[in-house]
Amino acid sequence: MADDFKIAVICSSNQNRSMEAHSFLSKKGFNVKSFGTGNMVKLPGPAPDKPNVYDFSITYDAMYRDLMQKDYELYTQNGILHMLDRNRRIKAHPERFQDSTERFDLLITCEERVYDQVLEDFENKEKNDEQAVHIINIDIQDNHEEATIGAFMICELVTMLYASDDLDNEVDEILQEFEHKVKRSVLHTAQFY
Amino acid sequence: MASSSSTNPGTSMDDEVVEGTGKRPVLMKRSTAAQFFSKDDDAERPNEPPSSTYDIVVELLNNAAVMQKSVDKIANLKKVKELIVHNSPDLLDNFLDEMLAFQTDVSKDVKKFIIGFMEEACKKDNECLPKVLPSIVMLLADDDVNVQKKIILTANSMFKLTLSWITKAKKSRPEMTEVWNHLKELKTLLYEMLESVNDGIRTHVVKFLEGLTLVCSRRTADSEIPKKNEGDISLDQVSQTNGIAIPQKLEEDGRKAFNSLLQFQSSPHISSINLMTVMNALSNIAKQRPDFFDQVVQSYEALHVNLPPTLAKSQVSSVRKNLKTQMMGLLKHPASVDFLQQISTLLTDLGASQSEIAKNMPKDLESRKRKATQEPSASYASKKHKLELDEDDDGMTPWVDRSSKKAKPEPAQKQTAIDVTAEDILPRLNPQNVADLVLLSMVMLPDAMPAQFQSTYTPIAAAGTETQISHIARLLATQLTMAGMGKGLGELQLQAMKQDAKAVSATDDQPTSPKQTIQTVLGLKTEEQDEPVIKKPKMSQLPLPPSSRKMKQFQLSSVTRKLDPQISETLSSDAMKRIIEAERAASVGHVEQHRVKLLASLTSLSGESHKNALQEHIFNDIRGRQDLAFAWLYQEYANLHGYSTSESPVTTPTAVGRYDECLTRLLVGLMELDDHHGDILFHKLLLEAPAITDNAISVVKKYCAVAKCTEKGMKTLSQLINTRPAKRGKFLDLLLEFSGDEKVEVRNVAIETAQSLHASGKMQEEIETYATQQLKKLLQTKPPVVKSEAPVEAWTEDSIKAHLYLHLGLLPSNHKLIHELANIYTATSADIKRTILRVLEVPVRGMGMDSPELLTLVENCPRGSETLVMRVIHILTDKAVPSPELVERIRDLYHKRVPDVRFLIPVLNGLSKSEVMEALPKLIKLNPMVVKEVFNRLMGSHVSSDSVYHSPLTPVELLVALHNIDSTKCDMKTIIKAANLCFSERNIYTQEVLAIVMQQLMEQEPLPTLLMRTVIQSLSMYPRLIGFVLNILQRLIVKKVWKQKKVWEGFIRCCQRAKPQSFQVLLQLPATQLKEVFEVCPDLREPLLAHVESFTENQKSHINKAVMAVLEQGSETLTEVKDGEKNITASNGNDREEEPATQKSQKIDSVPNEPVQKISTVTAAKKTELASVKISDLDKTGGMKISVQSGEKDVESAKEVRSEESEASKERRRERGDSKERRRGDREGSREKNREKEKEGSTDKDSRDSSKKTTSKSSRKDDTDAEDSKTKSSSSSSRSTKTTSSSSSSSSRRSSSTTSRKK
Repeated sequence: MADDFKIAVICSSNQNRSMEAHSFLSKKGFNVKSFGTGNMVKLPGPAPDKPNVYDFSITYDAMYRDLMQKDYELYTQNGILHMLDRNRRIKAHPERFQDSTERFDLLITCEERVYDQVLEDFENKEKNDEQAVHIINIDIQDNHEEATIGAFMICELVTMLYASDDLDNEVDEILQEFEHKVKRSVLHTAQFY
Repeated sequence: MASSSSTNPGTSMDDEVVEGTGKRPVLMKRSTAAQFFSKDDDAERPNEPPSSTYDIVVELLNNAAVMQKSVDKIANLKKVKELIVHNSPDLLDNFLDEMLAFQTDVSKDVKKFIIGFMEEACKKDNECLPKVLPSIVMLLADDDVNVQKKIILTANSMFKLTLSWITKAKKSRPEMTEVWNHLKELKTLLYEMLESVNDGIRTHVVKFLEGLTLVCSRRTADSEIPKKNEGDISLDQVSQTNGIAIPQKLEEDGRKAFNSLLQFQSSPHISSINLMTVMNALSNIAKQRPDFFDQVVQSYEALHVNLPPTLAKSQVSSVRKNLKTQMMGLLKHPASVDFLQQISTLLTDLGASQSEIAKNMPKDLESRKRKATQEPSASYASKKHKLELDEDDDGMTPWVDRSSKKAKPEPAQKQTAIDVTAEDILPRLNPQNVADLVLLSMVMLPDAMPAQFQSTYTPIAAAGTETQISHIARLLATQLTMAGMGKGLGELQLQAMKQDAKAVSATDDQPTSPKQTIQTVLGLKTEEQDEPVIKKPKMSQLPLPPSSRKMKQFQLSSVTRKLDPQISETLSSDAMKRIIEAERAASVGHVEQHRVKLLASLTSLSGESHKNALQEHIFNDIRGRQDLAFAWLYQEYANLHGYSTSESPVTTPTAVGRYDECLTRLLVGLMELDDHHGDILFHKLLLEAPAITDNAISVVKKYCAVAKCTEKGMKTLSQLINTRPAKRGKFLDLLLEFSGDEKVEVRNVAIETAQSLHASGKMQEEIETYATQQLKKLLQTKPPVVKSEAPVEAWTEDSIKAHLYLHLGLLPSNHKLIHELANIYTATSADIKRTILRVLEVPVRGMGMDSPELLTLVENCPRGSETLVMRVIHILTDKAVPSPELVERIRDLYHKRVPDVRFLIPVLNGLSKSEVMEALPKLIKLNPMVVKEVFNRLMGSHVSSDSVYHSPLTPVELLVALHNIDSTKCDMKTIIKAANLCFSERNIYTQEVLAIVMQQLMEQEPLPTLLMRTVIQSLSMYPRLIGFVLNILQRLIVKKVWKQKKVWEGFIRCCQRAKPQSFQVLLQLPATQLKEVFEVCPDLREPLLAHVESFTENQKSHINKAVMAVLEQGSETLTEVKDGEKNITASNGNDREEEPATQKSQKIDSVPNEPVQKISTVTAAKKTELASVKISDLDKTGGMKISVQSGEKDVESAKEVRSEESEASKERRRERGDSKERRRGDREGSREKNREKEKEGSTDKDSRDSSKKTTSKSSRKDDTDAEDSKTKSSSSSSRSTKTTSSSSSSSSRRSSSTTSRKK
């Protein structure tokens, strides 16, 4: 359906928010990828100050097995295992945005910090000025419920943007309309690869 | 993608050029058709090595040409591209035209692809450029925006490629000129497109301009070039020799591009996406071309204060964010050193923290040092000076640093118009000028706050500091320069005129650009100026006059004249009246809101008459018009604080007064309104009024003083206290004042309110302090003067209470207050003490017995407060059993400090038995009323029946204890009185109880003095006790009662009372004592004699002769008496033997008269019960006592018992069997006292009831069985003596045997 409209959804650990949106958007037939911008993948641990930290190269499956072995009860109960299970069906392992060289037409970030990191990455990346990309931030809290809601919103926004013939021209209006609709404010900018 | 072509462009391009030049002429000559032919030829030659690729390409192209789907086409073309660009570049030239032919394809995707191909092809072989460029120019006019965008982006690299191509060429060729002209055309078109309606196009054009600027400018040492763009061409690589591209011309182009970017950025209606792109572009330029750094920073500064008004809120935040990011990026650049001040100020304004800023300037110091060393031309002195500064400040104070730099590097850093103007403005920023400026700018403030101002406004952190003032100077300079004014601009223009053409172009831009922005700048300027309201620059005469000329405002006053005051007054009040009357019309027209607002503001502005009119109007229908009242009030308040535009914003005393007046008016009006609704509104008004004035408080005071409103008033007050912290103190004072009010209703409500406030934990301290103060006033000799009343000379009960109530009311919620009360109590007069004691009950009860503070009070018991403590204890224990803690404290107090036995009274029930016993003598010495209370407590009569009550003393023990009081400790009369109190409690001291008492007393040795008194008293109270009494008397005889004089006297009295039943007893007395009896009571002798004479002969024979002698003669010789004494010992047994005989006879005999029979049945029943009781209580009190008790009871309460009997009959029947068995056992082995006793009880009664009927039958019995009688006598003897010893029984046996022998 939308192969030439490449979308990336980015959150910090490429686990919850971006994956939820990834799963949702790909079900809708979009060409979507997901990324994290953090240095490591962090998952909630037994205590707030003891998160489970993984490298981006660790597969979701490995994380799943690791956590299952650590405390099956806890991670079942807080939904982490379920989430990882979903994630491993979508792709093998989390991806770090900064390490990716792919080009997209639309980047959606789930948090202002992530948005900043993406912009920073654009500053540092080598570019050729060949292609424009829109970066849009929608703040989504990092929990399962908000992620689901956020995925809906992202999907709606993406659908609106995709429907536009001339995205560069109409993106401002679409975003305003969207903001008004979902009653959230978004950040938006354009960058060039 | 393009990496292979760009890794080493220099060499590869050279190669290609050489290669190309060698090859091209041949190829170029071929026409398109010829190429086709040659291709076909090639295809027909299958064995040729390149033909394989060639063939494939041809086939792919052919297929692509006929394909319908653009996707497939692209797929084919992609393959072709791969083949001819990368695999065999030699074919590129062959197929270029064929590829380019696809540009006319209908599909935009194909077009886009072809554009991409063009770019790559040109990169690969610059010789393609002449062919490609015309297509590019053509495609720019394409309908599809996406194709256009692609072209725009491609244009940039085309430009670079062409430039490098031209530069590298040894000599210019005509096609180069052609290409160059095409490019020029392209540029022109693109500049035009900057005005395109399409956002996206503009965005891309910006990108192109960025590239153009970069190419057409020189790299410098500190240019930060991204690695990828390392090989890009720039102006410094362009050789002068080339005739086509002239460096000067190019540089001018670059400036033009850069300036159009700057201009674009400052255009008023730029969209957010364009704005951000241009910002990014500028920042890229600044980083790669530090020459532009200052202008970029300045443009950012200008942008920050002049954000386009069209941006939505979230866009503003995006833009600000972007600005911040870009500034941070700039800050990292070494060139930022010269702009540290501006950048960091701007960043701070954007919300960046100092640490963030610090983090982003790592190369700061280093680069500065580098710069310093690069500065050889500066004079030695200034250099030294600067170095010193550097060392001293070490980069810590950018301001100083900057100023020193600024002074020095005139040539190095271009002083722009803004800098010059800022410097010009700075010294003029004195308070006077700033104030003028602020006032002037006020006029131009917009009505509504613009969105971006609202979201971007940050409070000024360092207001008034040197730094901030200079920042403001800069801000103003930016604005002025934008507006085309200011010293700097003028200077620059002068310079420009003198200087060469380059400079001319720079200044040319600046005056032109403001032209179109001037309008918005003026509009925005006002915003900018209220941001730094605190310190404002004097703008000097230079900037202001033009602005004021332009902003010449319409002044109403200049076109109107004053009306005659009277006329204006009439007009206004008429107008007012009309508005007031227009209520209906307004509601029909749905303009009520406006009417209310109108009325409110008019009234607040005008005089008394209007206010009266409005007030009247409001109160005519207070329900419907309350919003009007509130509107009025708020309007006044707005005026007071200058929120309203219609008043001068200065808080004047009159404004305060007017608000106050309005509030007071409304409140008084509502208060006087005798209406339920008025009360509610009063409440509402007070709670909702924006501020409460002192006058309003006094209205509240009046309101509360009206009894029927008090409750509501207090409620209002307490809510006010809760919700208005500012005036809380005043409200609280008022409330507390009421707590001492004379009117009970008012006072009670106030105290309740204060209590609930206190209990809710608010204002506790204040309330307590007030309460304590009130309390302390009691220490004064006179009550304080209240209100305007005449001073009262002495304390009255009411005035005392008035001071007390609040404190007492607080006691239950804060127990600690009791200590204060105790302190006051000790110091006050008797009257006050009395009052305190009187009102103490409720609060103390509220505190409860377990209150630790109360216990502490009891424990400490300040000297002088004993009565208070006592009262407290009494109240506590009045209805409840004292807690162990309390008892403990009181015990301590009593033993250690205040040995006043009265303390013990309330807790008697909590004391141990021995303690009570010990205190008893003291207790009964107290006032009779108190003693009575003591006894009540001991007997538990004051405690409600349901409470668990355990008196330390049973009634029996109490009475016994009384008897045992040492007469040295307490005189007899007191004891008697106390005992009498006991006897008066008939429902406690029942005959059973008394019987037990007597029993216990009798067992004592020596006998208690009061024993006989008690016996007599018991007898007189319960005549049915006679049997028991007789028994006692008999036992007393055994105990030789005559040895104790008092008791003996009592004994005689008792016999006297108990006659004729006591005759039996008397007969048992030894003759001497009997004689004594007769001496005391001569009237006993005759009846006794008569009694004896009524005996049968047989019976008579049992009577001791000496006794008989005493009886008959009344006076005997001493010897006879002695003789008789001897006999008595013998006859005792005889007499005793007689009794069982009578019993027996009665048992055998069926008694005819009713009552007796009744009793006997009862007895029978009772006997069984008795047994059961005995079993259960055996170990507790000793079976003996109980048996007697129940034995007596059955007689006394025969009737009641009978009714009970049926209920308990089953049980009894069961037990009857047991008891019967037991009795049988008794008869056999009867040594155990209790069993014996039981029998005795029953036999006593029997004997008593039928004593007179014991006649012939008993004797007959005697005759029948001598053995039987013998056993009987033994049992009876043991029974009578109680302390039965085998010797006595044997002696009695002996005596009986002697009597029989005598017979």
